Amino acid sequence: MNPPGSLEALDPNVDEHLSTQILVPSVHSDNSQERIQARRLRIAARLEARRREALGEYLDGKKESEEDQSKSYKQKEESRLKLAKLLLCGTELVTNIQVAIDIREIHRRVEEEEIKRQRIEKLENEVKTSQDKFDEITSKWEEGKQKRIPQELWEMLNTQQLHCAGLLEDKNKLISELQQELKTKDDQYVKDLKKQSDDICLLLERMEEQVKNVMKTFREELYNIEKAFEVERQELLASNKKKWERALQAHNAKELEYLNNRMKKVEDYEKQLNRQRIWDCEEYNMIKIKLEQDVQILEQQLQQRKAIYQLNQEKLEYNLQVLKKRDEESTVIKSQQKRKINRLHDILNNLRSKYAKQIKQFQEENQSLTSDYKRLVMQFKELQKAMRHFALIDDEKFREIWLMNEEEAKDLIARAFDVDRIIHTHHLGLPWAAPDFWFLNNVGPISQQPQKSATQIVEEMLMRSEEEEAEEATSEPESYLDLPKQISEKTTKRILMLLCDESGFLIESKLLSLLLPLEQNECYLLRLDAIFSALGIESEDDLYKLVNFFLKYRAHRLSSSLQIKPCSQASMEKASMEETSTRSELELAEQTEMEGEKEESLVEGEKEEEEETPPSPWVIHPNDVLKILEAFVMGLKKPRDSWAPLRVQKNVCDNSKDSEYWQALTTVIPSSKQNLWDALYTALEKYHLVLTQRAKLLLENSSLEQQNTELQALLQQYLNSKINSELQVPPTQVLRVPTK
Amino acid sequence: MQDTVTTSALLDPSHSSVSTQDKSSTGGHTSSTSPQLSKPSITPVPAKSRNPHPRANICRMRRIIAEDPEWSLAIVPLLTELCIQHIIRNFQKNPILKQMLPEHQQKVLNHLSPDLPLAVTANLIDNENYWLRCCMHRWPVCHVAHHGGSWKRMFFERHLENLLKHFIPGTTDPAVILDLLPLCRNYVRRVHVDQFLPPVQLPAQLRPGDQSDSGSEGEMEEPTVDHYQLGDLVAGLSHLEELDLVYDVKDCGMNFEWNLFLFTYRDCLSLAAAIKACHTLKIFKLTRSKVDDDKARIIIRSLLDHPVLEELDLSQNLIGDRGARGAAKLLSHSRLRVLNLANNQVRAPGAQSLAHALAHNTNLISLNLRLNCIEDEGGQALAHALQTNKCLTTLHLGGNELSEPTATLLSQVLAINTTLTSINLSCNHIGLDGGKQLLEGMSDNKTLLEFDLRLSDVAQESEYLIGQALYANQEAARQRALNPSHFMSTITANGPENSVG
Repeated sequence: MNPPGSLEALDPNVDEHLSTQILVPSVHSDNSQERIQARRLRIAARLEARRREALGEYLDGKKESEEDQSKSYKQKEESRLKLAKLLLCGTELVTNIQVAIDIREIHRRVEEEEIKRQRIEKLENEVKTSQDKFDEITSKWEEGKQKRIPQELWEMLNTQQLHCAGLLEDKNKLISELQQELKTKDDQYVKDLKKQSDDICLLLERMEEQVKNVMKTFREELYNIEKAFEVERQELLASNKKKWERALQAHNAKELEYLNNRMKKVEDYEKQLNRQRIWDCEEYNMIKIKLEQDVQILEQQLQQRKAIYQLNQEKLEYNLQVLKKRDEESTVIKSQQKRKINRLHDILNNLRSKYAKQIKQFQEENQSLTSDYKRLVMQFKELQKAMRHFALIDDEKFREIWLMNEEEAKDLIARAFDVDRIIHTHHLGLPWAAPDFWFLNNVGPISQQPQKSATQIVEEMLMRSEEEEAEEATSEPESYLDLPKQISEKTTKRILMLLCDESGFLIESKLLSLLLPLEQNECYLLRLDAIFSALGIESEDDLYKLVNFFLKYRAHRLSSSLQIKPCSQASMEKASMEETSTRSELELAEQTEMEGEKEESLVEGEKEEEEETPPSPWVIHPNDVLKILEAFVMGLKKPRDSWAPLRVQKNVCDNSKDSEYWQALTTVIPSSKQNLWDALYTALEKYHLVLTQRAKLLLENSSLEQQNTELQALLQQYLNSKINSELQVPPTQVLRVPTK
Repeated sequence: MQDTVTTSALLDPSHSSVSTQDKSSTGGHTSSTSPQLSKPSITPVPAKSRNPHPRANICRMRRIIAEDPEWSLAIVPLLTELCIQHIIRNFQKNPILKQMLPEHQQKVLNHLSPDLPLAVTANLIDNENYWLRCCMHRWPVCHVAHHGGSWKRMFFERHLENLLKHFIPGTTDPAVILDLLPLCRNYVRRVHVDQFLPPVQLPAQLRPGDQSDSGSEGEMEEPTVDHYQLGDLVAGLSHLEELDLVYDVKDCGMNFEWNLFLFTYRDCLSLAAAIKACHTLKIFKLTRSKVDDDKARIIIRSLLDHPVLEELDLSQNLIGDRGARGAAKLLSHSRLRVLNLANNQVRAPGAQSLAHALAHNTNLISLNLRLNCIEDEGGQALAHALQTNKCLTTLHLGGNELSEPTATLLSQVLAINTTLTSINLSCNHIGLDGGKQLLEGMSDNKTLLEFDLRLSDVAQESEYLIGQALYANQEAARQRALNPSHFMSTITANGPENSVG
């Protein structure tokens, strides 16, 4: 806002910046750059110093140094030099004595050595000469011994004495000399001692003097140095004082300047402050008003809150009281509940005991019931047995009734046909053909067609074959094998024979032995019986299945194998049968389902058999029989399981067919014929009228009627004959007979 | 404790009134003067206590004096004082010192008599002041600086020295010294004995009788004049560092006999064994003792491979070349720093062997061969050795009959060597030419500080010039000593310059 303030704010930054620039980089700094910088600076400073030294020492160094160095320093230096010189001189002076003594000693030693050498030389010489003399003397002693003359001896002794004396004298002289020397040495020693003491005195003196001198000079120098220091101090004080005053003046001036600046600033600030204050005042007032309003609102709210609070308090108190009361109540209830609980506990215990009792009871009951149940099951089984028994009986009865009714119906039908024929032949004069319906051939109930066992069939078949052998062509239509008519009996027979031959292992050996004496056919029969029991073939169907299986297997093989095989006539026949058998597969199913419609299917089968006789040349090889059997046994096991449900369906189906059958019986005479009959009736009515008119004719007619009745009786007799009951002869025969 | 009790007891009278206090204090003063004269140590106490009193009087009339801890009646001496007095009086019988407070200890020590038996004081008192008083009491002149600045050490060392000096073998009881041993073993570091008395004279006079008794012994050339055997003593002193011995007799006067000054073989052997056993010995001095070659060799052999020995001084003896050779061997088998063979009879061969040892030595700092006779051959050998030696700083060859050839070699050494600081060639026959050559050598040298050429036939001029050079060197050395950093910097600055130039 205000420039001075901002400037002031900036100033320290600038200062800092400058200071950082000026700041000498330290060698111990953390920053490596700074350290390098510092080292460079140091090297530069050193080089500079050296250069200056080199120049200064020779050119203006002395002046500079003199100028630089203060008086005190100079004085100190002077004193030091002076003192050093003094000390050096003093020590030299003192040590001079030592040196002098040393050299004297050396000289003495040299002299001593010389003297010693001389002395030794002298002594040696002396020794030599004295030895010579002694030798001379001793040699003379030898001479003396030879002397016989006393004078000579005496003379010689004298001379010897003289010589000895001389020798002794020499020795003494030497000794005295040496003693002299010793004395002089003693003197010398004394002198030396004196000299030494003198030297020591001198030394002491000098030392003392030196000490005094040094002390004195030291004092002087100290005094001088102190003086110099004093002077320097004074000068320094004066100069510092001057500096100080100058600095003070500058400081004062600056202070004044700052004061003025400050005053100005203060004024500025005051103005600003006033402005600010006014502005603040206004703001303050505004805020105050706002806040007061807020306060009022808040107070109102507070009071409201207080009211609410009181209300709440009262409510809460009320609630509290209520709760208290409830609490009391609850305590009461609690006690009641407790009592109740106790009671209930009692009850519970009672009930438990009861429950236990009941459990016992029920267990007993259960036991009794299970026994009952067992009994009942037994009963049920018995009942079932009875049921089965009754069912069989019922079936029988049903069959009987069926047969009876059928007979009756057929009777009626026959009558109707008779009538019709009569009408046709007699009244209308038309040729009459007996209507041929499937149901007319039916005998017994359709549902109760009994299933023949395989052995029975085989037996039948064998029987048939025997018969056939006997009378081949006669009873072709009679060979009514009730089974797949597509399969010729021959084929089946052959197959069975083959089977009988190949699977002899299935028959017990005992049985075989027993069979030996029997007839061939019976033998076969018994064998097949054993084989079927072993293979699990029970019913007719199984047998056919077996046969079919053989054929199918053959066909399958045929299709795959070559056709080049040479074929015989017989094999061709067999093949044809097989063909038919393959074709009759579909009808096999039908056959099983519709056993009731035996006659019809028989007829059809016959027709088909007649139609299809193309020869096929294939033979079952005996080796394959076992394989086929194995496969058949494996396949047979599966379908057996699904037999039980089939029966029920059959019954239902049969019922409908029964009704159909009976219904069909009713419509033996078609409506057109009835209409014809009606028309005939009317015509006959008219005819009756005519007849009545021809009353007279009646009498004639009566004779005829009598004849007619007689004929009718004959017919009746015929119908009721034995043969009729034994062999189920078709009524056509019966009917034809009278026609003949 | 005592103080507080007394002050609390005194609280009442002071509290009663100021006037009574005044009276009591004045009364105390008067009374104290008369009865307490006998105890001058206590008298200052009332004077002290009186000082604050008037001040208090002036400042606050009603001030309670109990607040002043220094105030006391001073009529009765404090119980502590009495106790201390008692302790001081009975210190000999019952020395109590360590249990007291430091201030009381100080007081006791200040008043203990220096005559107390050493058995009591030696290991108990460590106070320097007490020992200072003891020393001053016994000896008028005391140079404590010679004894490491410790008065106690000085006392024991000098005490032991005295005992040894006046020990007469055979008559003095050796227990005198051995008893002292446990007391002084921790304090004595230096044994300096300049006198060993021989056995008493009387037996010498009775020698004829002795000889008759044991003729075999008496016929030996050396009579039984063995001195005190230092072995036990040296082994006992655990801190012994310096051994300074002179086998000499002082003040014999007219009783002079050559026998008095014998350093016998037995002395020598025992001494050698003693110093060999002493592993703390740093300085060994044996001077003025007529040590000849054989004895010197015995001693030096015992010093071979000594762990700490630094200084060996065998000056003023009779050591010849063989001894010097032994010393040379010692140089290469020890850490010797100072070797002094001054005033012996070493000649050229000895000096040569020394020089040989010196050539590769790195320990020796100072070698003194003053007043021998090594002559030029030895001098030249030494100069050659100095060309390779980088350790020796002080060399004294004064009075060795050296002449010009040695000077020429030395001048070469001076030009090369940078460790030598002091050479003494005084009292030789250097001659004028030698002096000039030395001057030439000096001109290249920057380290030599002292070079003594007095009385060596050198020309005055060259001597003066050498002196100038020495002075310059000294100045440089002084500068170096004053500000080593600057010196270092100049050196480092000079280094690259030289390499560049």
